[in-house]
Amino acid sequence: MRLIAGLATLVSVFCLASGAFAHAALVSAEPADGSLFESTPKSVRLRFNESVTPAVIRLIDAVGKTRDDIGIGSAGEDIVVTLPDHLPQGTQILSYRVISQDGHPAGGSLLFSIGAVTKGAVEPAHRDVVDGLIWLTRIGVYLGLFAGVGGVFFAAWIGQGNGGANVIRGGLFVGLLGAVASLGLQGIDLLDLPLGAVATPAPWTSALATSLGPSLLIAIAAMAAALMAWRSASRTVARALAAAAMAGVGLSLAASGHAATAPPQWLTRPAVFLHGIAVAYWVGALVPLAVLAWRRADCLLPVLHRFSNLAAPVVAVLVLTGLTLAVVQLESFHALIATNYGLILSVKTSLVIVLLGLAALNRFRLTPRLAFNPLKTRPLVRSILAECGVALGILAAVAGWRFTPPPRLLVDAVVTPLTIHIHTETAMFQVLVSPATVGADSFVLQLMTGDGSPLPARQATLTLSLPARGIEPLERAAQLGADGYWHVRDVAIPVAGRWHMRIEALVTDFEKITLEDDFDVGER
Amino acid sequence: MSMVGYSLFVAAVAAFAASPAGAHVTLENREAPVGAPYRAVFVVPHGCAGSATIKLRVEIPEGVIAMEPAPKPGWNVDVVKAKYAADYDYQGSKLSEGIKEVVWSGGKLPPHQHDEFTIDTYLTGSLKPDSMLYFPTVQECEQGISRWIDIPAEGGDPHDTGSPAPGVKLMPKR
Repeated sequence: MRLIAGLATLVSVFCLASGAFAHAALVSAEPADGSLFESTPKSVRLRFNESVTPAVIRLIDAVGKTRDDIGIGSAGEDIVVTLPDHLPQGTQILSYRVISQDGHPAGGSLLFSIGAVTKGAVEPAHRDVVDGLIWLTRIGVYLGLFAGVGGVFFAAWIGQGNGGANVIRGGLFVGLLGAVASLGLQGIDLLDLPLGAVATPAPWTSALATSLGPSLLIAIAAMAAALMAWRSASRTVARALAAAAMAGVGLSLAASGHAATAPPQWLTRPAVFLHGIAVAYWVGALVPLAVLAWRRADCLLPVLHRFSNLAAPVVAVLVLTGLTLAVVQLESFHALIATNYGLILSVKTSLVIVLLGLAALNRFRLTPRLAFNPLKTRPLVRSILAECGVALGILAAVAGWRFTPPPRLLVDAVVTPLTIHIHTETAMFQVLVSPATVGADSFVLQLMTGDGSPLPARQATLTLSLPARGIEPLERAAQLGADGYWHVRDVAIPVAGRWHMRIEALVTDFEKITLEDDFDVGER
Repeated sequence: MSMVGYSLFVAAVAAFAASPAGAHVTLENREAPVGAPYRAVFVVPHGCAGSATIKLRVEIPEGVIAMEPAPKPGWNVDVVKAKYAADYDYQGSKLSEGIKEVVWSGGKLPPHQHDEFTIDTYLTGSLKPDSMLYFPTVQECEQGISRWIDIPAEGGDPHDTGSPAPGVKLMPKR
């Protein structure tokens, strides 16, 4: 009896083994992986290539909760999962593990979204003190570049004497100090470090690696050149250095910032360059002119004329480049009031109009009057001082742009990706995950051979799973980008946790390299 | 032997028998001595996720020579020749090149049927006994491709990988 029972078991298992030549695979899913719905669909139907028995079916909803109110039914090749009536808005994950006839388990996951795909927009934590300091140092840099370098240029090329020397020198020192501090603060902000960490190298090196690094270095060089020009005994040397410093102002601004990095760059970078130089020309002249007017200097009138002759085209350049950049950045008039970036631009534009009004007043009313009565300079002094105040307001407003992404960028917020490095004897994969938080994540796969040279792959696949939550592998094919890297875009990762990634690179028809690692997905 | 013990024994035998026979493209003869002829019979158990098989490509590992694919009614068989990594003595002559890939095409194997594809080979004495020898195989279907090309780590369970390559355990020369 025992023998017969045993034999029967053996025979039945052999039958299973030889008869059921099958490897369960998902043939189709309804809704399909990645679907988006207005409201919760009634059910999800999974169809396999053969009869399967459900082993574990899990629904993890958009708020990360494993739901126990789902119904599971199976009929032959189909598994039907009845969904709860109302699922939260966002991306839900359905993970399945089924047993095929031959006892082989097979598993996978599919995603569907209700209302909208869970967004991964990260709201950077606001840190008032650091933000305030960044803003102040930014204003400092502007003062150095515009009042300082611009002032030196005015003294070397337009003006006479050393009117406003203290302000110009002061501006340069404030600017140099601001530039250095700005760099450190940028690093502090970037790495989310406490202020005290400014004494360590980490924030500095990371800040230098951003576009602000070269920008501030150029600014420092420009201000140093201006200082040298100021101290130079030779007029020729002073003029050359001052002109170079002015070019540095434009270059520094064009090297960084939202406007300079906006597409199309052939337009925006030169526009920012010219805009910066024009601002420096104008703002730099204000204090020396006010001082000349206050002293009722004899040379005031000729200097004013020299300044005005160039000022007209400079203002034209200023307005034209400013408008161009505003159009590129805003994309719509509505954005002027609807976004913080737009609001700052509105404030700035209003102040610029006041400034232009004051400039017109000086040019067309006050300066001609001086010709009749050279001693009556007080209205001009008052007007120029008002210009200085307005200009300072503009700089303060513009420094605030550091904290507001332009509408152009609001769609794809810039985030620092998570880097995962997987290295074995045969291969080295570098994976960038951004933003590595719950929501839509993008993956860049940099595939290299063991010695670091590019690995020519024919296909690459990314498979994600979260064993701790029982989420079965979610497979996505990567696309080869023009940059030579493999990309998997917008994988809606619904829950935080330590995810497992497996990357398979097909090298030849018969050879593939598989590397695996874990990585952390943070909360939003 | 108690009833429980006996059942466990049966279950163990059954599990051993069942697991290799399962779901993948496999080799029928799972053990073979080196320095001897070997008939490699590739068993294709099913299509690619429900689609009919229309092509089977087998890569011949180094050290396996003197290939003779068996003709198969309804299928064309093609071979790709290349240089071997080393020279091999075979029946008194030196072989430095030969078949490195065998391709069956032109036929159609419905998704739920299984079939066998045979190659007569010679396993040279250069192969290491007591190790696994793998024949990476690509199964092309009307829709999709299954690549049975995963080679498990030494001593690893072939089921740890998703799509193991068909393999044969090499035995010492007789």
